[in-house]
Amino acid sequence: MKITINGNTIEAKEGQTILQAALANGIYIPHLCYHEKVGAAGKCRACVVEVEGMRGLQTSCSVQLRDGMVINSVSQNVVNAQKLVIDLMLSSGTHDCLACEQNGNCELQDAAYFLGIERASVQYGEIDREFDTSSEFIYVERNKCISCGRCVAACNNTVVNQVLDFGHRGHHTEIVFDTDLPMGESSCVQCGECSQMCPVGAIVDRNAIGKGRTWELKKVETVCPYCGVGCKLELHVDERTNKIVKVKGVEDAPTNNGMLCVKGRYGFDFVGHPERLTTPLIKENGEFREASWEEAIELVATKLSGIKEQYGPDTIMALASAKVTNEENYTFQKLIRAAIGTNNIDHCARL
Amino acid sequence: MVSKEIKDKILRLKEKYPRKESALMPAMMLAQKANGNYLSKDDMDEISKIIGVTSGKAYGVATYYTMYNTRKVGKYHLQVDTNIPATLMGAGDILNFLKKELGISPGETTDDGQFTLNEVECLASCGTCPVIQVNDVYYENMTIEKTKTLLDSLKKGVMPESKTEYNWGSECNVLLKNRGTANSTAIEVYKNNGGYKALEKALGMEPQAIINEVKASAIRGRGGAGFPAGVKWGFLAKGTGKPVYLICNADEGEPGTFKDRQIMEYDPHLLIEGMTISAYALGAKLAFIYIRGEFDWIADILDKAIDEAKADGKLKDLDIIVHRGAGAYVCGEETALIESIEGKRGQPRMKPPFPAVEGLYGCPTIVNNVETLASVPFIIEKGAEEFRKWGYENNTGCKLFGISGNVNKPGVYEFPMGVPFKKLLETAGGAKGNIKGVIVGGLSVPILKADELEGLNMDYDSCIKKGTMLGSGGVMVINDEFSIPELAYRTIRFYAHESCGKCTPCKEGSHTIVRILGKLLKGQGTQIDLDNMMRILASVNEGGSTLCPTGQAFAMPIKAMYEKFTDEFKKLIK
Repeated sequence: MKITINGNTIEAKEGQTILQAALANGIYIPHLCYHEKVGAAGKCRACVVEVEGMRGLQTSCSVQLRDGMVINSVSQNVVNAQKLVIDLMLSSGTHDCLACEQNGNCELQDAAYFLGIERASVQYGEIDREFDTSSEFIYVERNKCISCGRCVAACNNTVVNQVLDFGHRGHHTEIVFDTDLPMGESSCVQCGECSQMCPVGAIVDRNAIGKGRTWELKKVETVCPYCGVGCKLELHVDERTNKIVKVKGVEDAPTNNGMLCVKGRYGFDFVGHPERLTTPLIKENGEFREASWEEAIELVATKLSGIKEQYGPDTIMALASAKVTNEENYTFQKLIRAAIGTNNIDHCARL
Repeated sequence: MVSKEIKDKILRLKEKYPRKESALMPAMMLAQKANGNYLSKDDMDEISKIIGVTSGKAYGVATYYTMYNTRKVGKYHLQVDTNIPATLMGAGDILNFLKKELGISPGETTDDGQFTLNEVECLASCGTCPVIQVNDVYYENMTIEKTKTLLDSLKKGVMPESKTEYNWGSECNVLLKNRGTANSTAIEVYKNNGGYKALEKALGMEPQAIINEVKASAIRGRGGAGFPAGVKWGFLAKGTGKPVYLICNADEGEPGTFKDRQIMEYDPHLLIEGMTISAYALGAKLAFIYIRGEFDWIADILDKAIDEAKADGKLKDLDIIVHRGAGAYVCGEETALIESIEGKRGQPRMKPPFPAVEGLYGCPTIVNNVETLASVPFIIEKGAEEFRKWGYENNTGCKLFGISGNVNKPGVYEFPMGVPFKKLLETAGGAKGNIKGVIVGGLSVPILKADELEGLNMDYDSCIKKGTMLGSGGVMVINDEFSIPELAYRTIRFYAHESCGKCTPCKEGSHTIVRILGKLLKGQGTQIDLDNMMRILASVNEGGSTLCPTGQAFAMPIKAMYEKFTDEFKKLIK
């Protein structure tokens, strides 16, 4: 179908909202509480537009398109309303971009930049909410929270860990963990979905703080090495030190939709760990020595063949790993069944 | 620790509702009452497990509604309403007296743990202000003398009996027809006065015929929005295969409004009859009365009346559940109310879908105000024509007006729609002092200056012509002893306190204006502050800027106060 936004006619798909069609066509409308994964909430009111034939401002995140719809996202009325929202958000939190982890990757910053807001025009409140540093991997700064609700929706509906919720009300509304416990003492499993969904710097990956701003880090997509699900990761790498600073889930990945578990998201310290095994080791006279893959495989093959010949194949058993792919596990069982000749194969995911 | 007895009660509550989550609010209130009026985190956690919701949900609900005491309170929790009608009628003096006598500030508890003092929002006692709520009991028409007596009694460990004298009057004898009758809440008395005849007639009619009659009466929703009730009924989704619910909105939270309690407290069967007829017309087998939690004793009256009606076979296959709120103005908004019945934080939903299509538990739901539903028996028994004889096109029927503030006989008066304001004022004994302004439809409508009252008739369209709204018919008269900026400050404090916190313009806009007016009243305000305030108000006032109409409700009254009394604000600039 065809719709008109700000005088431009664009092609849109049935079932899309105004915001979805606008974004798909490169037209930015400020939005903060909307995220494709959690849907429209109508909360932040930053995405309001005018629609011909509809009374008052409409939230573009929630209005379904109709063929021929005429939309204005830049009229004075609309811009005033959008500016008020961003202005009030900036004034009600400590949104100082300079040392903020989200600098350059902040949706509030994007909206303020788009609307030309340098700083809050009203600043009347003292802001003194507590920082929550109780969690090993996640840092929560409620002063920066804009109550968009994306983390709450994601925790409850996307990953269904059901830890986060909103407590109190009005200006005093804040996100809480269980019955307002410190995050580290709550039932949180630190999957980090909340940090993935936070549009501002209120929930961030703790161990990445101060280790590089988004534009300084190289983004590398890869597959999580932990289990066979194969979640798609985006590694944020500091090229100067060749170190992984943080890991994000890839939102459009069919395997994980941006979601990760605590291991995939935060368990990457082994990559550059000094004790990490980087070559095979062979034990001789009670001491390990480095060896090549060829030598190691040769040694294992010889030993296994010897055992099979001397004691029979059923004296050998093999344990496959959940950390590798189905294809690799398939090949492995083939090796054990066809080459060794035993059915003694199991998998750690069964334990 | 939730006792076995409370746990059993909670398990029974779970059975009462179509969905278990609905039991969360009453369950937490039970636990609070059993634990010295204090709801601990451990109890929230335990109850969440009994009900089967997350502990975060329980905490979120407990801290959303003001009636859950998540901090320990004294044996006697004194709550003084200081909203606009109360302020106009001397609540400030009462609060100051209590502060002095108890030696504590609002929010504090005496060292001996006997008294906690709190300032609270409108308790719907506007006609009988000042009011002090002690634990669950209202003490109304308070004076310093009476407060002294009350304190003396409490210090001896005795909660005195609460007796309230109301002013009331009726020209139409529909909504207040049984008001003066002794023992008016008993079903026998109600029946002897002709009660339940309309229901009998209705049951002989086709449901659609009832809907048509209500449509023909042109009655507009009496809660405040004034949407035609019959038209609303017509929006009910049909053939969905889902149950239909009828909800009576008895949240009565709009400051200046205290009319619905007159019906429920003195003529509960009128409401029950109206609901039974309406439920039959709409095909609802389960109905709810969502009553503000502070009206605990009125909820008991309703529960008793429902039991009587059931025992008398009046409800047929209908059941009515009285669901108590727990202190949240926004729950007067129908989708927030529905969320609250569902055991959630009472925050408005996005519309569409409208409740008539997807309401309670995702089913077609009609939400009507108490007064609207209590008008239904008359409309059915006497006919729409008879109802329309009062008022004129689109402004028909009888209406309750609550009049409070600086008048000699504050009270609730039933008049035909369109009654001249002058007559209403005279009935209320005239103004005390010189009128400076009047808010005619509950706090959310623009104030009228004294000279704008000339020729004002109390109906929807006449009020619009005067640049204000009839709203709920809660009239507050303000004399020239009061400063408008101070009233504006108290007004915006109310809206900021009651903001649900869901959408930004309401949540932060109201809070910012509290700061601005607070600064102004301290003599530190500037013209830039006032300009900022007006910019926020203009933007919030724009339709659709907030998630729900309640969210932008503060814009009109504050804007009007500033525009009509600009000098008073400018005088305060440093």
